[in-house]
Amino acid sequence: MTERIIAMKIRLTRFFLFCFIWPLVFPSAGFCAAGKIKIVATSSTLASIAEEITDRKADIYFIAAPKRDIHFIAPTPKDVMKLKEADVFIHAGLDLEAWRDPLLNAVGRLDFMWPAGEKQIDVSKGISLLEVPETLSRAQGDIHVYGNPHYWMDPENAKIIARNIAEKLAALYPEDQEWFLRNAETFSRKIDGRLASWSREMVPYHGSPVVVYHASWSYFAERFGLVIAGELELKPGIPPAPKHISELVASMKEKHVRVIITEPYRERRTPDRIAKETGARVLTLTQSVGAFKEAQDYLSMLDYDLTKVAEGVKAGRETP
Amino acid sequence: MRRLLILIIFLVSLLPPNHLAEAGGEDLFQSLRQNVLELQKTVRSLQQTVQSQNEVLRQQAIQISDLQKGNESAVPRPSAGQAVLPAEAPKSVGGFNPDTGVIGTVQTKLTQSKEDAEGNDTIALKELELNFGQAVDPYSRLDATISFNDDLEEQNANIEEAYYTRWGLPLGFTGQIGKFRAKIGKQNLMHLHTLPTGNYPLVIRDFFGEEGLAASGVRLQNHIPNPWDLPFEVTGEVLRGNNGPSFSGVSRRPIFNTHVKTFFEPSQDANLELGWTTMFGDENPPLRILNDDGTTTMETRPEGTDRYGVKVFGADVTFNWFLPEGKKVQLQNEIYFQNRTDLVHVNSHPWGFYSQLDYRFSPRFCAGIRFDYLSPLDVSDRHGSTEVSPYLIFWQSEYADLKLQYSHVNPAGNGNKVDNAVFITVDFLIGAHQHAIQ
Repeated sequence: MTERIIAMKIRLTRFFLFCFIWPLVFPSAGFCAAGKIKIVATSSTLASIAEEITDRKADIYFIAAPKRDIHFIAPTPKDVMKLKEADVFIHAGLDLEAWRDPLLNAVGRLDFMWPAGEKQIDVSKGISLLEVPETLSRAQGDIHVYGNPHYWMDPENAKIIARNIAEKLAALYPEDQEWFLRNAETFSRKIDGRLASWSREMVPYHGSPVVVYHASWSYFAERFGLVIAGELELKPGIPPAPKHISELVASMKEKHVRVIITEPYRERRTPDRIAKETGARVLTLTQSVGAFKEAQDYLSMLDYDLTKVAEGVKAGRETP
Repeated sequence: MRRLLILIIFLVSLLPPNHLAEAGGEDLFQSLRQNVLELQKTVRSLQQTVQSQNEVLRQQAIQISDLQKGNESAVPRPSAGQAVLPAEAPKSVGGFNPDTGVIGTVQTKLTQSKEDAEGNDTIALKELELNFGQAVDPYSRLDATISFNDDLEEQNANIEEAYYTRWGLPLGFTGQIGKFRAKIGKQNLMHLHTLPTGNYPLVIRDFFGEEGLAASGVRLQNHIPNPWDLPFEVTGEVLRGNNGPSFSGVSRRPIFNTHVKTFFEPSQDANLELGWTTMFGDENPPLRILNDDGTTTMETRPEGTDRYGVKVFGADVTFNWFLPEGKKVQLQNEIYFQNRTDLVHVNSHPWGFYSQLDYRFSPRFCAGIRFDYLSPLDVSDRHGSTEVSPYLIFWQSEYADLKLQYSHVNPAGNGNKVDNAVFITVDFLIGAHQHAIQ
C-alpha cells in the first residue's frame, strides 16, 4: 500500500514539475517570426488598420471571425494562448466586445487589462459617439452603456483609430516611431482621397431611407447621408417580434423604404419576408474586413458596402 | 564685410558632416528631429480637436435643419450633447461598487414518479443567484456567487463560488483560491442557468452531486508553450476532501484534480476541444480490525485512511460548427471512469458518459438532445441507467429564456421504475453578469 502511495506522489510531483519546467524550455514558442511585434486585435477590421500602420513590422492575429457577430464571440483556448504570447492588444474599447473582460481574466496579463494596461490600445479614444443613452435600463434592450460602438464604419473615425494605434505603438517602440506615424498619415491621406470620391458618388442617394436589422449602421448612415427609418430588432439586441414586424412593414410602405441592410451573421428569413411584402431589396453588407472576398482591407470593405447601397437604392427607386 | 561673411558661410558649408557631429551637430540634429516629431504630434492633436468641433457643428447644423423642416422624427439622431460625450466614460456607474447581477431559475417538473420528492409535480424557485465581481487591485480580482433556493426541507443560502484570482504569477501562471467549481470536463464548470438542459448529466449528478462538484481549494492554471503552436492548457487543483458522492472521506484528506486540454481549429467555421481529467481522492470506509480473541470489529478512523482509494479519469470532447446566419451546431461528450478500492459504494468500477447534440437554428430558438448512460456508484448491475432528454430553448432576449425538456429515465437496479418527466425551466437575469471562459 505504502509503495502505491509513494508511486502516486512521485507521479504527481513529476506532473507539476513538468508544468513548471516546460515553459522554461519553450519560453517564446509563438505565432510569428522573430523580430516582429506580436499583435492581437479583437476584430479583423482593427487588424486590417493595424496592418496599415505596422506595414510588415508586426504579425497580427484577430479573434472575431469576420462572419460572426462581434458582440457574441466565445473566445477559444487558441485566442487565450495568442493573447498570452502577444506584445500588444488592440480592442474597440467601450462595451462592444462583451467577452473582452472574461478573455483578459483568462489570459491574466496585467499589461493588457482595460483600461489601465500599458500595452493595450483602446482605439475608441477621442471618438465622438452617437446614441449615448440618457438612462440605463434593459427595458431599452441590449443597449450600450457608452453609446453606439460601431464607430469604425465612419471613415473619419478610422483615421482616429489609425492615429490611436500609431501613437501608442510609437510610444511602445520609439525606434519605429517615425514609421508608425508616417504610415498613419499615409492611411489618413488614403481615406481622405477615397472619402471625397465616396461622398461624390453617394450624393444622388442622400436622404434615402433604409431599414437596418441592428442599430449598427448609424455612423455609416450619418457619414453618407442615408436615413435610418427603422430596425428589424424590436430594441437593440432583442430579436424581431411579429407585432413589431407588421408595424415596420406598414411604416416602410408609407415611407417608400426600398432597402434593408443586414449582416452575414443575421438570419435571412425575417428580412426576406419583409422584402417580399414591401418590395424592398435585402443588402448583406459587412462591418468586418474579410467577410467577403471583395472586402479584403478597410478601404475595399467600405467600397463594397457603398457600391451595394448605391446599387440597392438605385434599383429601389426604379421599382414602382 | 559682406564678402567676408559669404566666405565664412561657404567654408562652413564645405565642412564634412562628421566634423559637424564632432561639434555637437548630431545632437542638434536629433534635438531638431525630436522637436519636429513633437510638433507633428501637436498638429495632429489640434487637427483632432478641430475635427471634433466640426463634428459638433455638423450635428448641430443637421438638427437645426431638421427642426426647420419639421421632420425631426423621421431621422433619429442624437442630440449634439450626446454626440460629443467622451468615449472614456467610467466603467461602472456605481463607481467602486462591484459588478452585480441577479439570476433566477424557476423550474416546473411533472413526473410519472409517485414519490413526494423535491421538485416532483411542483413549481419551485430552483435557485436565485447573486453574482459579484470586481478587480481587487491591479493584480487580482474577486468573484462570488451566492445562491438561495426554495427546497421543501429547508430554504437555505449557499456559497456556490467565491474565489480570489491572482494574475501574473511566475511563468505566466494564474492562481485562484477560495471555493469554485472544479475543473472537471465541461459541464461541471457551468452554472445551472447556463446549461441547455434543466439538470446536469446523469454521470455528473451521480459522481459529483446534483449540482456538480464545487469545493474550497486552490487552483493553478497556465498555457504551456510548445513548438507546435497548439493551445495546451494545464490546470491543477487541490480541493477540500469530503465533497460529493465520490469523495465522502474526511476533509483533511484532499482531492487532487488535474485537467489538461488542447484545441484544434481546422477552419474559421469549426473547432474541436479535447480535455482529460484525472482525480485522486479518498473515502473513509470502516476498516476491519482483527481482535486478539479472533473476532473482528469495524473501525472508522477520524483521520481518514492513508491512501488514495478513489481515482476518477475522464475525457471531454467538444465540437463546434458555425453555420451561416448565426446558426451553430455543437456536439459535446464527456466520459468518466472510476477505479475504487474504498468500498463504501457497492460498485468498484462505476462509469458513465453523456453525449449532447445542440443546434441553434435561429436567434430565438435552439433544439437538442442529450443521451446519458451510467453504471452508478451504488448499483452493481450489468445494465446501467440510461436517460434520453430532448429539449427546446426559447430566448425572449439575451436576459430571459424558457427551456422545455422531456426526460425518459430507465434506472439501473432491480425494483427501480422507468420514469418520464417534463421540465419547464425559466431563467431571468438582471444586472451585470459575465461567465468565465472555460
